[in-house]
Amino acid sequence: MDTRTLIDRLAADPTQVRRLPAPWARTLVWLALSAPCLALVVAVKAPRGDLVVKLAEGGFALDLAAALVTGIAAAAAAFLSTIPGIDRRLLLLPLLPLLLWLGNIGYGCIDEWIRFGSDSMPLEQSWACFRRTLLATAAPAIIIAIMLRRGAPVMPVATMALGALGAAGLGHVAVRLFHSQDSSITILVWQLGTVFLLIALASLAGRSLLNWRTLIGNSLRQVDPNHLRTG
Amino acid sequence: MPGAKDDTRDARLASLMQAAQQGDQRAYAQLLGELTPILRRFLWSQRRFLGSADIEDLVQEVLLSLHSVRATYDPKRPFMPWLAAIARNRLADGARRYVRRAAHEVQVDEFPVTFAEEAANTEPGGVGDPEELRRAVRALPKAQRQAIEMLKLRELSLKEASAISGMTIGALKISAHRAMGSLRRVLQKA
Repeated sequence: MDTRTLIDRLAADPTQVRRLPAPWARTLVWLALSAPCLALVVAVKAPRGDLVVKLAEGGFALDLAAALVTGIAAAAAAFLSTIPGIDRRLLLLPLLPLLLWLGNIGYGCIDEWIRFGSDSMPLEQSWACFRRTLLATAAPAIIIAIMLRRGAPVMPVATMALGALGAAGLGHVAVRLFHSQDSSITILVWQLGTVFLLIALASLAGRSLLNWRTLIGNSLRQVDPNHLRTG
Repeated sequence: MPGAKDDTRDARLASLMQAAQQGDQRAYAQLLGELTPILRRFLWSQRRFLGSADIEDLVQEVLLSLHSVRATYDPKRPFMPWLAAIARNRLADGARRYVRRAAHEVQVDEFPVTFAEEAANTEPGGVGDPEELRRAVRALPKAQRQAIEMLKLRELSLKEASAISGMTIGALKISAHRAMGSLRRVLQKA
């Protein structure tokens, strides 16, 4: 097919384009869709009994706030990354809250080490933590993956990694609300370990989930039901 | 002022895209038509070694990509950085595809005989007189002789032949191709 014919075919597509909302608006939609799912998970698993007391503790509140802000900033960066030509420095948006989140947990670990000593640090083997984190992360992760497919796959690996971090940030908040596990070293190894495992898996799946071939195939089907390709 | 012309062009392309997003088919055809030579120039500047057919394939890939993500363009933002990001991304994608394919491909100048039936093979089976071939190879210009000896007789890879001879891979390919043509002509006459 020569280029002129291709242009004529593409221009003949009568579909009016629904412009993608701004990244911050998409982040809000994602939050609005994810929040009820997370609330349901917390309600089904039953909020921890000492929640009110824990919220008054600086370390616990900071952990929740930092994870929440990391999740929101990472989701916004993921949505930004699907717009061609944006300033790539914007993708570092979640870096500061992420450092705060990790720093807070790291501080908790050092505090436990001082109090208990390295031999008796309360690290539990907790596959339940792994399962809980997966359960809480599932809904926001699925929702953001579907939403990200509407953008341009200009940096699919970064997009999926940021999306996973966004979902994991919200998931962590939910887990902390219903699970009475306050050992920093266990949180670091099991909960954050799961978070980084999810990010790694999402990065690996990036190019399969977000790619030009699928996107072009879908839009060509609208232009031409016989799915004509160039050549 | 050199930037003013670019700004005007960007503003015109942005307004055409905005109209296209609202379903204006004529504006969209005009936009894609205006973008085609811009893309040709841009892609050629990035991949000077490609032929015009390959560049045209790339232009079409970028136009298809633009079409599939036209919902991501925000008319409040400049148009050209948006387009350039898509074009650069498709170029990188193409390079990745090429590397993947090249890793699983064996390049051959001529396919070996494939059919059992003699009549189906248009190429002659081989050269009858080896001495004739030797003489014909010796008569080739130096670069062509080197290329044919290394690539066809010693069966070295292009990389190895390039390292030994100091010729570039492109020059080796051209020399081998010309040498094959010369040999074919000489041996057909003989």
